[in-house]
Amino acid sequence: MTLEAVIVGAIVGVAAGWLARRWLAAARRRKEGGCAGDCACASKIKPKK
Amino acid sequence: MVALVGNPNTGKSTLFNALTGLRQRVGNYPGVTVARKSGSCDLGNGTKVELVDLPGLYSLAATSPDEQVVTDALSGNISGERQPDAVILVADATNLLRNLFLASQLAELGLPVALVLNQADVAKEQGLRIDTGLLSDRLGGIPVVMASAWKGEGVIDVRRAIALTLERKTFLPRVVWPEKILAALEDITAAILKDTGRKVTSAEAQRLIFDSNSALAERLHWKAELRDPVIRQGRETVRQSGYNPLAAEPLVHYARLRKALEGVVKEGAARASRSAAVDRLLLHRFLGPVLFAGIMLGFFASVFWLAKFPMEWIQSGVDWTKTVVAPPLDAYPMLQSLLADGIIGGVGAFLVFLPQILILFLFIGILEDSGYMARAAFIMDRLFSWCGLNGKSFVPLLSGFACAIPSLLSTRTIEDPKARLATAFVVPFMSCSARFPIYALMCAAFIGPVYGPGWQSVVMVGMHCVGLFFAVPTAFVLTRLVLKVKPQPFVLELPRYQMPKPRDVVWRMWQNAAEFVSKAGTVIFAITIIVWALSYFPRDASVAAHIKAANPTAAEEVVKAKVQAAYVEQSYMGSFGKVVQPVFDPLGFDWKITVGVLASFPAREVIVSTLGVTYSVGEGAKADSQHLRKAMKDAKWSEGPRTGKPIFSLAAVLSLMVFFALCSQCGPTIATLAQETGGWKWAAGSFVYMTALAWIAATAVYQVVIRIS
Repeated sequence: MTLEAVIVGAIVGVAAGWLARRWLAAARRRKEGGCAGDCACASKIKPKK
Repeated sequence: MVALVGNPNTGKSTLFNALTGLRQRVGNYPGVTVARKSGSCDLGNGTKVELVDLPGLYSLAATSPDEQVVTDALSGNISGERQPDAVILVADATNLLRNLFLASQLAELGLPVALVLNQADVAKEQGLRIDTGLLSDRLGGIPVVMASAWKGEGVIDVRRAIALTLERKTFLPRVVWPEKILAALEDITAAILKDTGRKVTSAEAQRLIFDSNSALAERLHWKAELRDPVIRQGRETVRQSGYNPLAAEPLVHYARLRKALEGVVKEGAARASRSAAVDRLLLHRFLGPVLFAGIMLGFFASVFWLAKFPMEWIQSGVDWTKTVVAPPLDAYPMLQSLLADGIIGGVGAFLVFLPQILILFLFIGILEDSGYMARAAFIMDRLFSWCGLNGKSFVPLLSGFACAIPSLLSTRTIEDPKARLATAFVVPFMSCSARFPIYALMCAAFIGPVYGPGWQSVVMVGMHCVGLFFAVPTAFVLTRLVLKVKPQPFVLELPRYQMPKPRDVVWRMWQNAAEFVSKAGTVIFAITIIVWALSYFPRDASVAAHIKAANPTAAEEVVKAKVQAAYVEQSYMGSFGKVVQPVFDPLGFDWKITVGVLASFPAREVIVSTLGVTYSVGEGAKADSQHLRKAMKDAKWSEGPRTGKPIFSLAAVLSLMVFFALCSQCGPTIATLAQETGGWKWAAGSFVYMTALAWIAATAVYQVVIRIS
């Protein structure tokens, strides 16, 4: 495997990993009752049970 | 903690921004704030307090979700949040009587209150003189200050008033109800404690007696069989005291307020109102809709016209970057292709639309802040009432033209849950700004050059209307047949016309531009790399050898082009696109467009960068041929009955735009719809319905236009 292939592989891998991490974080935020958008505003409005 | 409370569109968020230095979204129409927002406010005496901006409401009889946020916040019923230490009531200085009704109700909560008479400049213009000292005396000595938050006037006085309220604990005088009614309220609080174990205040008990359908009973989980006899008895007591239970509260409060305001407001010579004269024209039964259509047409024509040169500059910058980056990497074709075709080609194709996005939000900002958007709601109410929605649906649908997520949140202003659900279901049909790049790309490449700039604007407006065209019958079926929504009257307080404040408009443009660029540098950047990898690999050397052997006499450039085309076709993306392409064949999409469409399901703006990559892979070193528009114009069918014909025919271009106008291609929107409707049922329904509708409509457009043209 050439150095070029290693560099390209690393860039593609980091991009895929970053996207996956971002979507998982958004899903977790939604589950916790935060904003469903990707704006990270984290507005939480839940009436007391 | 101090809460800002008041009627809708009285300038609470503007005052909040002035006091905290934050940039909370403001607008010249009711219902902009739908959730609680907080910031730190320096009182100028060395102390800081947490200031909370709450949605506007006319009374404590909360019926819509945004109003419930206010009543919950004021009574300390928001999880993790305590009850405020004081309330700052923001009232419109030009309409004191109606604004103070809320103040009169707030007295029942027993919280320290200060009164800010906002829009003092407009009151002055109208010749109104308000004796704040006398008003303060009549309201139990609470601090009363005049301010014009929009102009930044009186903000220091507001800070002092907050400090004074917290220090002296100034309260509004409560309404003195007859003994019998007080006894009935006590009976209700005792019954709630007994039946639910929950302790409620007298103010909350009033909501149960005085409101026809208080949401409080549901929130308390007070069973109907236990609740109904108690409330019936309470209302009977009110009736015996000489009041109609459902009319008692406004009658008593307004009588008291009229007395309190005697001699407080003096009317002087007012300037003639220009708003009324302008409204006679803009809200005219026939002229109004015509002017509205004209404004929208001019709006989109200007977006193209003004953005033309900045777009060319950005395109030149992208081309220049390629010519700098690509040649030194000639020895490393894979890395060269990743940088030139993938990253620069994909992200560049997306960034080119930045000027159009900026101009789009400049016009939206001007229309909103001037007060025209609220008039547009009034004009559209006739159409909405026909399809079972009311004018309150207009604000969410209007903001849907910028982004569906905040507009789904703003459906919280709609009281009726069924009407709210119907509105939320049709919001994703509105043509959000993420659809704009694909419309702009298609119009600029295929409509403008062939049919002229006039048709370019008409198609652009048409595409923004396609969603509305399908949203109206969808809402009709939902509200009339499925959900059976009861018709609701629409009351809209038209805001005054005002000169848009350049700072606010520029701030809105900046926010959206920053979001656009940030998206280009993050999500689009990452997706572009993935799309490039899928379009580049695998690279079997035998493919090149086979083509070279099959074309021994062809020029080197021709062979190279054939090799690149073959590589893209046999890539993972090409193989996948070709498998799925038959599904999109009736819409006139080739495998590259099919790949772009599929990659756009998480976020529809990805289409532009995906096309940018798939149409440029292998072209790395040739910066002058990288324009996506040119590549698309040159693209021809290579197999089947359409061989040799352009892929981007008029039929295919219109079909692609209609598909994007209707298809549900936004992950965060689906998630927000699920959150706002309390489950995935309606969100999944919306996705399936919109996607199927997009496929059918785009197929119809392609098949009809291809036969005509």
